Amino acid sequence: MSIDQHSTEPASAEVPATGTSADDPNELFVEGADWETVVDAIEDDTLTVNMGPQHPSTHGVLRLVLELDGETVLRVSPIIGYLHTGIEKNAEYRTWVQGSTFVTRMDYVAPLFNEWVYCMGVERLLDVQVPERAQAVRVILSEFNRISSHLVWVATGGMELGATTVMTNGFGAREHILDLFESQSGLRMNHAYYRPGGLAQDVTDDFVERCESLLRYLPGKIGELEDLLTHNPIFVDRTQGIGVLTGEEALAFGVTGPMLRAAGVPHDLRKAQPHSGYEQYDFAVPTETAGDSYARYLVRIAEMRESMKIIRQALDTLPGGEVMVSDKKIRWPSQQALGPDGSGNDPEYIRHIMGESMESLINHFKLVTQGFTVPAGQVYIATESPRGELGCALTSNGTNKPYRLHLRDSSFVGLQAMDHMSRGHSISDVIVVVASLDPVMGGCDR
Amino acid sequence: MSSAHTSSGSSAYDTSGLPLASAAGRLGTDVPAPGRGTNGSSLTNEQLRERLLTRFPDLRADEYRGELTVFVEPGQLLEVATYCRDDEEIACELLSDLSAVHWPAGDHVIERQISTTGWPEYRTSREHGVVEVNYLLRSVRRNHRFRVSVGTPDDAARIPSVTSLWPTANFHEREVFDMFGVEFPGHPNLVRILMPDDWLGHPQRKDYPLGGVEINYENDKFIPPPHERNLREVVE
Repeated sequence: MSIDQHSTEPASAEVPATGTSADDPNELFVEGADWETVVDAIEDDTLTVNMGPQHPSTHGVLRLVLELDGETVLRVSPIIGYLHTGIEKNAEYRTWVQGSTFVTRMDYVAPLFNEWVYCMGVERLLDVQVPERAQAVRVILSEFNRISSHLVWVATGGMELGATTVMTNGFGAREHILDLFESQSGLRMNHAYYRPGGLAQDVTDDFVERCESLLRYLPGKIGELEDLLTHNPIFVDRTQGIGVLTGEEALAFGVTGPMLRAAGVPHDLRKAQPHSGYEQYDFAVPTETAGDSYARYLVRIAEMRESMKIIRQALDTLPGGEVMVSDKKIRWPSQQALGPDGSGNDPEYIRHIMGESMESLINHFKLVTQGFTVPAGQVYIATESPRGELGCALTSNGTNKPYRLHLRDSSFVGLQAMDHMSRGHSISDVIVVVASLDPVMGGCDR
Repeated sequence: MSSAHTSSGSSAYDTSGLPLASAAGRLGTDVPAPGRGTNGSSLTNEQLRERLLTRFPDLRADEYRGELTVFVEPGQLLEVATYCRDDEEIACELLSDLSAVHWPAGDHVIERQISTTGWPEYRTSREHGVVEVNYLLRSVRRNHRFRVSVGTPDDAARIPSVTSLWPTANFHEREVFDMFGVEFPGHPNLVRILMPDDWLGHPQRKDYPLGGVEINYENDKFIPPPHERNLREVVE
């Protein structure tokens, strides 16, 4: 890459402009122009290039300052902080239940995981046990969310390498998963479906049927993506050996999730610190050893299949019963269910509060407007999101609002490894490295 | 592809010079699946506390909801953190999380919307303002996790940087510096990360208002490129 592979003489100010070089009088030397300064400039100077924020792989809000020597990357500095969502600060002024609607907007590709980890944090502070049905539904929906997140990753990652068919196929398959989310929570993303203590409402009657049909549909679509990419020479050439991160380096940079597993470390919080009944499901933790972008692709594809295994088992053993804790100081008294008209009110409950019990109405009103109080203390709980460890650090001072909410998001942590992974690669490989990292900037800024 | 390119020189964006955690080097090639007990089982909170208190008898440890918290003075942090990383039993290769909580001095009304909502009012009162910085240390090999909590006065918040132990702390410490105003001596590039470089104030402090904030750029006309800025001056 360096220009001195092509020039025969080192550029030097001492070279006399006599037409011959000082070392070899027979060699002709170019005269009449400031070639020496040009050569000096090219040899000594590096070029600083701002990549983004408009590049699609960086979702509009990440700027990469590249220092280049020719096309070779010397240094990458990720500049974040363009989103300014202020979710952590805002949540300090909302009730504990409203916090769920905030955090779901952080990592908008895997919103259910944010809600999940936040709710688990509140539940640990409250010291309540979530009903088994709610836990199983959380596992099913979250694993679908993991598949949809990985599909977005394959789709956008492929698109950045020019494979638009991968993009349309990936997003097309994801749509069907979002349809399932919409049928259960009413929204395709930003669900606020998980609430501290359980779920906002029970799943619909056709929930299992919908999941079954998705489980029949998805393997074919994932297989299609594999057919397009796994042995595609362009894809393999562009990703193999690019952005290598060993297991030791990944841990040093705090990189977890598929990137750590692609480097040979079989670390998965669903196995290491199981929660919500993960210990009862049988699934493997896919690993690769290369630690490069291609290995990350293989791990994520394999993870989608493992997720489907978990969903299959959870559907087969889906328990009945409540989806919310029975504590009347936490649960809303109305048994809300999505009616045929799309409203969420239970006629039985309306009859009760309007005709029979004023106290029940007051209780509901106070719970909705003021929320419940949570014992003082601080907890940290983590789950395995599609991007790695997603942690929730919650501090309560005994009031009806979080005193401090902090989410440890893998996009934020992982971007630090960009510099290390990109050095020495060509500028076009930076795109691959960013893509293999799978960052979502909403989680990065918070 | 070529191997990692090293280069000299520094810039405002420089993130080089960060040592990789030497603890990670001890991880070896065959890392056992955590939680399967192939390479030593995880330590319980009781064992962790005992081992830490044997080495540092003046530490205070607390357990809440099954989570162990060790309270450390800023001056002692590096020693304790190095021990937690390098000790064979504790072996925390991973800095899971680093975040802070601000407890301001004086009366602090938590509810600011009493007039409109009728929500109950909560007040706290403290003599000294404190910023608590929490380090979540995690051992992948041993499969345990605990919290190291460091308190520092909020008007002169200084805690030594742990970036030399875990490069992960780089962004985290910049965020805590940006949001809470805690300085981390030893950090290779302690500049704001979420807010503009010349922003005044630290938004996640409890005494920083929510909403209705003027645009707090110090240089509202021209923001020089980072390498020309006097960042220390802006910070004060």
